Amino acid sequence: MTRMLLSISLMLALTTAAAETLTVGLDADPPRLDPALSTAFVDRQVMNQIFDKLVDVNEQLKIVPMVAKSWKVTNGGLTYTFKLNTGIKFTDGTPLDAAAVKYSIERNMTLEGSARKGELASVKDVSAPDASTVVITLKAPYGPLLAVLSDRAGMIVSPTAAKKAGADFANSPVGSGPFSFVSRKRQDNVTLKANASYWRGKAKLDTLVYRPFPDGDVRVANLLSGAVQIITPVDPKDIATIKKNTKLDATTYQGLGFQGVWMNVTRPPFNNKQVRQAFSQTLDREAINKVVFLNTVKPAGGPFPPGTPAYSPAIKVQNADVAAAQKKLAQAGKSNVSFTLLTSPGAVNAQLAQLYQAMASQAGFNVKIETVEFGTLLDRADKRNYDAVMLGWSGRPDPDGNIYDFFHTGGVNNQAGYANPAIDTLLEKARAQNAMSARVATYNVALGKILDDAPYAFTYFSSNTIGASKALSGVPLVPDGILRFYTADLK
Amino acid sequence: MLIFAVRRLLAAIPTLLVVTLLVFSLVRLLPGDPARLQLGEEATPQALTELRHQMGLDRPVAVQYVNWLADLGHLNLGRSLQDHTSVAGLIGQKLPTTFELAVLSLLLAVALALPAGIASAVRPGSWIDRLVTLLALSGISLPSFFLGILLVYVFSVNLAWIPASGYVDLQENPGLNLKLMLLPAVTLGIGSAAVLTRFLRSSLLEVLNQDYVRTARAKGVAGRLVIAKHALRNALIPVVTVLGLQLGGLLGGAVVTEQIFSVPGFGRLLVDAVFTRDLPVIQGMVLTSAALVFLVSFLIDLAYGAIDPRVRYA
Repeated sequence: MTRMLLSISLMLALTTAAAETLTVGLDADPPRLDPALSTAFVDRQVMNQIFDKLVDVNEQLKIVPMVAKSWKVTNGGLTYTFKLNTGIKFTDGTPLDAAAVKYSIERNMTLEGSARKGELASVKDVSAPDASTVVITLKAPYGPLLAVLSDRAGMIVSPTAAKKAGADFANSPVGSGPFSFVSRKRQDNVTLKANASYWRGKAKLDTLVYRPFPDGDVRVANLLSGAVQIITPVDPKDIATIKKNTKLDATTYQGLGFQGVWMNVTRPPFNNKQVRQAFSQTLDREAINKVVFLNTVKPAGGPFPPGTPAYSPAIKVQNADVAAAQKKLAQAGKSNVSFTLLTSPGAVNAQLAQLYQAMASQAGFNVKIETVEFGTLLDRADKRNYDAVMLGWSGRPDPDGNIYDFFHTGGVNNQAGYANPAIDTLLEKARAQNAMSARVATYNVALGKILDDAPYAFTYFSSNTIGASKALSGVPLVPDGILRFYTADLK
Repeated sequence: MLIFAVRRLLAAIPTLLVVTLLVFSLVRLLPGDPARLQLGEEATPQALTELRHQMGLDRPVAVQYVNWLADLGHLNLGRSLQDHTSVAGLIGQKLPTTFELAVLSLLLAVALALPAGIASAVRPGSWIDRLVTLLALSGISLPSFFLGILLVYVFSVNLAWIPASGYVDLQENPGLNLKLMLLPAVTLGIGSAAVLTRFLRSSLLEVLNQDYVRTARAKGVAGRLVIAKHALRNALIPVVTVLGLQLGGLLGGAVVTEQIFSVPGFGRLLVDAVFTRDLPVIQGMVLTSAALVFLVSFLIDLAYGAIDPRVRYA
């Protein structure tokens, strides 16, 4: 009897395992599935299943082996020597060896229109002395290199397929990952199937379907109705709805990004440091977390979220202090400051803007809210045609990615026009250091000055929230917000 | 009739040329640089320059326009800035879906409006008339985004009769396709049904007071036959005009409905293209819409002829 039951349950297990399809709801359609050309966050969701990377990051944000089984940093941080796992094949049959790794990194560095050039700017040379060794030589020490290689810059593409497809590689990507690309119908779905000969063993899921739902309500409705089994992101207001459903659960976990307000330092009223400090001081970050995010985010004191390597308790979250803000304005010789706060559409943005407006008004700021569509917002932020703008960052595993381009003079994400030679020196120094403790010490010095100069009012650290069927298990929650489905199982 | 048709078709060419110029200039007035939007967080100055060059945005606007026109001459609408696929191919992929949606909702609208409009016109002021009027007014005032989400919550989330979204090709699985298209078609069709009902009612009321209807009745033609054969035919002429306008409107209304039900059609592609400033896709789509609206009004003209022989001889 027991044996019969056992064989029946085994049979059932086999039949259910025979066609495991997981449908994932995303907030946008992944536009470019090419590691060199990709610029959208959603691309990374899909590409992480198709391509293996040189290294990966885990839930604790530690760099872990992937195609590279080990590495050594020598020559004062200038030489990175990677030993590769052997016997890996791309899904088109091409072997993944050192030459393929060299090809992929060089392709990222040279392809016309490649978005990876900035991240790999420190690389002088990539060589493949033998089939399982890759040596990357840098122009100058660059601590963030491994973190950079754990993302798109380190994804290994099939040289055969990439050469053959040319500019169309994004529409027929070939990697060596746990899933391979099957088809894509724009605005409808991207379909992947399990790579049967994956070098770490076949994934439990057979088919992986990504579907875009730009509207948050629609995304949740599809999860509730069972049309999809997992969605990301989830709006804070929908978390309770998902949790009420006995078959579903919502999980909020650590993110890497930060959000806040840039103040344009190149024109009035925010060309005055005391006015900037005063505005930042009016914001009650804890109240924002409670009211807008229902306690799902963390108040921010700087660019490094708690739980990430560069977080330091020495950098405190600023408390709201209306009296102090009023005093600052008085010192600046102003009692009534008017400015326009630029934001883009969306329920969360509107709520935030109104809270900022109300909080700042207590100290005598007269804030006008202007909502423009995101393309226009970026355009105006780049041209510094604004007073204050709500613009944040999705975050990177290495701290450099959360600070360098924001506060370095002329940095690509420095929309405030902030320029401070002392900060530039410190940020360059931190980047050249290898030990995280030394880097954190350098960042703390820099942050002390940046927070005092206040070109940016940090308000909160965004978190990641997923809503998923309880039948789904085995998805590691890595703070980068990318869902890795290799170990996922749908019971 | 043939000469009339050919003349109408030829007259469309200069109109469409004006449309190309308008579309091209309007699209370029949109704020926001497509390259900057695509690069987003990774926008280094070098990458921006390269991408602008790749997209052909660094060439003079006049050159870009002439190139586009030349390509149009070869029926080539260019390539998407987002993923480099052919715009004509994309439109060809999306248009049948939206067309199916529009036709389904129009059929639904006619199926609802015909009996409702007739019932209401035959006995003006009766309880049926008042009920139809009430329903029609609600149908006109209900925004499709609200109705759509309401339908999803009732039929997909609570009753779980129909999946909330999803799409399969009509050829692939007709049954499932129709099932999935039902809620979007209802969402789109209700508004049209309401408008058509109101038009049919007023037009039929007017016709029923005409002398020839009275003559037919006096001659002893049965009541039903009078309406079906004599009154309805004449009452339909203004209704067909509205029907044509509605079809154009449905292509536009599909933008919202397709978003709610995640139908991968024309409307969703347009929204995406506008948000990403995918200029060739926007241009190609607006031009296609213009051509379609023209085609529909042309077909409506032909339909007049079929309904009312007097138009043919005019």
